[in-house]
Amino acid sequence: MKIRTTLIIIVIAILAVPGFVPAALGTSKGQLSVIIDTESIRADEAQAIAHNLRAIGVSADVRIWEWSALKERIQAGERQIYLTDWGSAYFDPFDIVVPKFLTGDRGNYTGYSNSRFDAALNQALLAVDADVRKDAYFDAQQILFDDAPAIFGYSLTEVEAARSDVLNWQPSMDSRVNLHDVGLARGDTIVVGLYADKVVTLDPAAYRDRPTETVIRNMFDALVTRTWDGRVVPEIAEGWRAVSDTEYLFKIRKGIKFHNGDSLDVDDVVYTFDRVLREAGMGGRTSPRQGLLGPVEKVEKVDAYTVRFVLSAPFPVLPQALVHFQIVPRKHLERVGDEAFAREPVGCGPFRYVEGRLDDRIVMERFDGYYGGSPMLPPVATAQVKRAIFRMMPDPTVRVAALKTGEVHVIQSVPAHLVSALRRDRNIQVKSVEGTRVYFAEMNCTRPPFDDPKVRRAMNYAVDWDTILRTIYAGNATRLSTAFLPSGFGFNPDLAPYKYDPARARALLTEAGYLTR
Amino acid sequence: MIRLTRTQVKIAERILATIPLALGVAIVAFVFMRAMPGDPVDIMMGEGAWTSEEEMAALRDEMGLDEPIHAQLWAYLKRVLAGDLGYSMIRSRPVAEIIREALPATIELAVFSLLFALAVGIPVGVASALKPNSFVDRAGASLSLLGVSLPAFWLGIVGVLIFSMTLGWLPTSGRIAYDAQPAHITGMVILDAIITGNLPALGNALKHICLPAVTLGLGVAAVVARVTRSSMLDVISADYIQFARAKGVPEGEVTRRHALRNAMIPTVTLVGLQFGSLLGGNMIVETIFGWPGLGRVVVDSIFARDYPVVQASVMVYALTFVLINLATDIIYTVLDPKISL
Repeated sequence: MKIRTTLIIIVIAILAVPGFVPAALGTSKGQLSVIIDTESIRADEAQAIAHNLRAIGVSADVRIWEWSALKERIQAGERQIYLTDWGSAYFDPFDIVVPKFLTGDRGNYTGYSNSRFDAALNQALLAVDADVRKDAYFDAQQILFDDAPAIFGYSLTEVEAARSDVLNWQPSMDSRVNLHDVGLARGDTIVVGLYADKVVTLDPAAYRDRPTETVIRNMFDALVTRTWDGRVVPEIAEGWRAVSDTEYLFKIRKGIKFHNGDSLDVDDVVYTFDRVLREAGMGGRTSPRQGLLGPVEKVEKVDAYTVRFVLSAPFPVLPQALVHFQIVPRKHLERVGDEAFAREPVGCGPFRYVEGRLDDRIVMERFDGYYGGSPMLPPVATAQVKRAIFRMMPDPTVRVAALKTGEVHVIQSVPAHLVSALRRDRNIQVKSVEGTRVYFAEMNCTRPPFDDPKVRRAMNYAVDWDTILRTIYAGNATRLSTAFLPSGFGFNPDLAPYKYDPARARALLTEAGYLTR
Repeated sequence: MIRLTRTQVKIAERILATIPLALGVAIVAFVFMRAMPGDPVDIMMGEGAWTSEEEMAALRDEMGLDEPIHAQLWAYLKRVLAGDLGYSMIRSRPVAEIIREALPATIELAVFSLLFALAVGIPVGVASALKPNSFVDRAGASLSLLGVSLPAFWLGIVGVLIFSMTLGWLPTSGRIAYDAQPAHITGMVILDAIITGNLPALGNALKHICLPAVTLGLGVAAVVARVTRSSMLDVISADYIQFARAKGVPEGEVTRRHALRNAMIPTVTLVGLQFGSLLGGNMIVETIFGWPGLGRVVVDSIFARDYPVVQASVMVYALTFVLINLATDIIYTVLDPKISL
């Protein structure tokens, strides 16, 4: 994928006439003229948006970039409209709307700033009461909609497919591939064609990407886990309660064993979090996952089966965050060291590591001493298949071919144009779940012309998303009113997306002082 | 004292000359990577709320990225001279280990592609030259044109659709089935299977390598055919060939001993160059076929700005190129004793 992307970038860079069009024409505003920036993967979409803008008398061109290069220019405030996306892992606007649109936050590429909006978000962030949080998010949504710092877009439906002899298979919204719960009508080895080029590590503290997590979560369990549709349920923990806004107690299940036979207790839990929170806690290196724990200050033992999380500020999404922190065996890890542990991981999950190469395949076998996993996710037992293999298959077409030939049983990220062909195949089941990544075209709110909300709203009315999503993404997408996801907490379903209304867009532009031909 | 022949001294000189070259390449790779926008921390951390600037600064500090560029370069060169290629910033492993793991797969694929290219290219080239403008010649020329023109990403996918999906003869991707793996000796699966005499593993591995090797090798086969044809045509009209024929040497012998051997020199040059690019230019094929080789590692590391991995891989590529060129030159002297190093 990436190679093709590079090639496309090079070709387009050679073909395209590079030209910088001045952002605005001073006081005597003439015709609006913009450049839409994108990575090559969304080039078609950018062209379609440019086409829509030209239809309302805006002169629009597309320029294609490598992401890091573009990001640098965006952050320098030099660009105008840029197609970007942002994923959410916590099923809460906390990790998507906040970083993207809160004043000065890390992912805020638009330069958008509105104190009312910030206040609403902060209220939602600090409140623990669900209703208060929801109301605050509703307010924030409305403000964001009206201010329109981006041409709000869509989220892509995540389509996964499996052979029809895979039983009890259900894709998850957090893109986990849960092999514990599936069975096979024939055979005892299940093979997953992973959409990645590699997994970066098998150490639960040393990665930030989803494919790695997908593999790791079959060998390691966490205090809590999720149902496929995003609800947090206990896993290693029996249950938890918030003592105050900044203190949580988790009760640990008894009788859980690691793959090496050690029993899991509170010390392992404390050690796991300490390893992530401490500077250089991972054998001299600092875990890249530190920041994901937010304001968690320390994790301490209360008694043999109770652990306390102490926070420096309220963090209502703590349980969502803890899904992503897999528990490691303290004694074993201290004995073998971090590097050896990453090479031969030992967890307490349904499968134990057998062998593998990170850029080829990872082989694991059923762990017969497994405690059964979350009681909320039946079957509560050891895994049903004897062996599970994750194969790295970066090419989407080959992934689909391998599923059709039966070489693999499950694949993720089915490309939109191949979905219908798979649906027609009797040997294959296709299921989709709502995506957790928001796609939009952000506008530079710090400079003319997009410092004017009227112009930004005009852009939102000008783009014919329905046609774009139908033609480019074969309809496998959900149109969004803002950057709030329907799967996330505090989503307002009554807030309808901007309608495609070129006449209104033209009127708004005229109002803002631009010629629309 | 050991007396070296002139040739041996030359070879030793050329091998020693690779050291400054490797360092030069390392410096260029270092500077170019640093000149690219973005850095590994930024890309690894990607999105995610609550990732503070302090946290990212701490990681940069740990990776030594906050030092001035010249200090980083100096520290890097010192480590490389001491034989330490560094630690991957993304993959949490020593770079040497990553390369040692990936390189055998790449070499294996390159060797098989080259074998395929030679097995197809030379006979087609010779046959075309022996009967210029015949049907064989024209068919060969058309196939060559097709071979050089078809891009690997298209050819690979079409190969999978035909041979894996429709006919079911070959696996879509991967290097060997999990339950067929031979004992690990060299890391080159086919070689390991031969060494251990593991026939099922050999068969399985050969099935897996077919599509990628042909996809990668077809373009080379086409070029080999064209070059062999033209140099063969040159040679075959030379006086000494006419003389050999006049002497009554059988036609087969004329072709093999007198013509082909002399016509091979341009082909060998070409093969030397092409083998280098087979080793270094297989990223697309490796990606399509999920082949766990160095090409994928490099591309991925470039995107992730994993500087140490890219720098070390570029050095490996440069060294292979130089060594292959040396090997090519040595083969010249064997083919044509008039040539010396």
